[in-house]
Amino acid sequence: MEKHIYILVVEDELEVMDALVNDLQSFENYFPIETANSSEEAKEVVEQIQAEGSELGLILCDHVLPGQNGVDFLVEQYSESIKTKTKKVLVTGQAGFEDTILALNNADLDHYIAKPWTKQELDSVVIKLLTDYVIEQKHNPMKYMAVLDAVRLADYMREHKLSDY
Amino acid sequence: MHNSIFDREQILSLVHQAISDSPQIASLVKNYDKGELFFRQGQKIDHLYLMIDGEAMLEHERQNGSNLELVRVNNGHFAGLVAFTTGNLSLTTGIALKPSKVLCIKQADFVNNLGKYPTLQMPLQRLMLRNMADRFRTNVRLEAQMNSLNVELETESAQLKEAYKQLEDSHQRMVHQEKMATLGELVAGFAHEVNNPAAALLRSAEALKNNFISNDRSNPKIEMFQYGLETLPIGSNELRKKMAKITKKLDWATNRSQIRKLAQMPNQAIKLIEKNKKKIPVSEMIRQFEAGKFIHNIQVASERVANLVKSLKSYSRQDTNEWDMIDLRDGIKDTVLILTNRLKYMDLKLDLLDIPLTCGKMGELNQVWTNILVNACDVLEQGGKIRIKTRSHGEYKITVEISDNGPGIPPEIISRIFEPNFTTKNQGAKFGLGLGLAISNEIIRQHGGFIRCENREKRGARFLITLPVKSCEDTVEG
Repeated sequence: MEKHIYILVVEDELEVMDALVNDLQSFENYFPIETANSSEEAKEVVEQIQAEGSELGLILCDHVLPGQNGVDFLVEQYSESIKTKTKKVLVTGQAGFEDTILALNNADLDHYIAKPWTKQELDSVVIKLLTDYVIEQKHNPMKYMAVLDAVRLADYMREHKLSDY
Repeated sequence: MHNSIFDREQILSLVHQAISDSPQIASLVKNYDKGELFFRQGQKIDHLYLMIDGEAMLEHERQNGSNLELVRVNNGHFAGLVAFTTGNLSLTTGIALKPSKVLCIKQADFVNNLGKYPTLQMPLQRLMLRNMADRFRTNVRLEAQMNSLNVELETESAQLKEAYKQLEDSHQRMVHQEKMATLGELVAGFAHEVNNPAAALLRSAEALKNNFISNDRSNPKIEMFQYGLETLPIGSNELRKKMAKITKKLDWATNRSQIRKLAQMPNQAIKLIEKNKKKIPVSEMIRQFEAGKFIHNIQVASERVANLVKSLKSYSRQDTNEWDMIDLRDGIKDTVLILTNRLKYMDLKLDLLDIPLTCGKMGELNQVWTNILVNACDVLEQGGKIRIKTRSHGEYKITVEISDNGPGIPPEIISRIFEPNFTTKNQGAKFGLGLGLAISNEIIRQHGGFIRCENREKRGARFLITLPVKSCEDTVEG
């Protein structure tokens, strides 16, 4: 099976999920999108991704979810060392100050997007974090030039003499 | 003790006799001017002073420098008796208040039992005994006085504490009322402002929809749009399954975004795409469906906004938070809607049987429901059960029962949960108002009812609110 770098969106409100996925579809040719309506489902999806040998590049997660809330889910994900490299974004209208601090300190939260988001904001956060991910995980930057931060990827290649990747 | 052998006048006359009989004894008598000191506080005293004729006082200098008169020394009274007999330093200063004749006896003379002055022996001994007895009596009296003073002090301090507590309570209530008034104003303004954009959204979505549809109903593109409008969104689990199916079944669908969009469609819509594949590009048909879907989403979302605003408005009842004939069930329904965010993953059942209207303040009663429901949400796990029941009992009584299947209330605190400032939470209620059950209790009391809380036999807590059915003419605000 082909290996991918996935984007996982965790959101319980279907209309909001529709809108998020719609805004992310420009990334989908490079980073397939998976969705989950709860933390429990998200964990199953993460397992499936691992089972097929693929990677999870980015989680976009709502805070108020059925069962385990978003912050607790992210904290739990982070404590499993295998997923620590995954970039984590909280997309929420509701996480309080303390929950957010908790996520920052214990889940190594990479970004916080307040609802309602703008396409521009979402794009720039996703591009930045996936660019970080591709560089940190030493994936071939050439492959992602079209969709991620081409300038940073090119700089990285020059610095590391990877032009013959 | 009058007319006894201890009568002070009688004994003193014996002393006078002794003085006039013996020049030796007369030489012991000293004259003091007004204001002259016998001895000073803190000094050792080597004489015993007996007032023969005059007046003096014993004065104690306190730590703050002021003087306190302790004892008045009249004829036949001693000064320096305590210090003299105990050998301690004097606790007082003796001062003559009038020109005084005083009999001063050296300590040394007592060593041989006043052997030098036999005529003084008996009267002095009696006088001393008399003095000591008087002082002892005074002591007993003082002790009793002090006791009753202590009791008075304790009572007063208890009263003060109680008054302070009442003050604190009413302060809390006032702060709370102020909060609610401010909240009400905010909500009224906010609701008005939000209603405008919500109305614009709703109407625009409707207009947009009609613009598309009225063109041509037999057009497959319009049909796709129609499907988009009518199709309800599906959960991500089901979506994943359908995506896998479509990936297998439809060889023309390769792009993942496209597959996801197809998976959200009903089968007829997919068939319609396939049927028209040669005439109309797949992407065009999908776009039509998506357009319908997003207009549907706008409608659903803006309706939710409008409903939330409506219930927020009636929940806070800024305009009508006065005594009014109300149906408690309206307030309960509004409260439940307002708390959707907290309640949406709870198993909530409303069992609201018909109850008569009664006179009440809707806004305040809603806070009672809010308070109890928020507390329940705080202790319940996801899927926890909450039941709200309304019942009427005869013509004059309504009960509202709110129960949950949470951990219940620890027996050691159940009697205190209606006390002001009692909380088991570290940082106030999450709803942000910090209202206590004490305020709920007060609100129900003002409505002429009462609130009771108990643990259910199996599991969880039950709040039972009993309210009278009455008309507003009978209701006097108190």
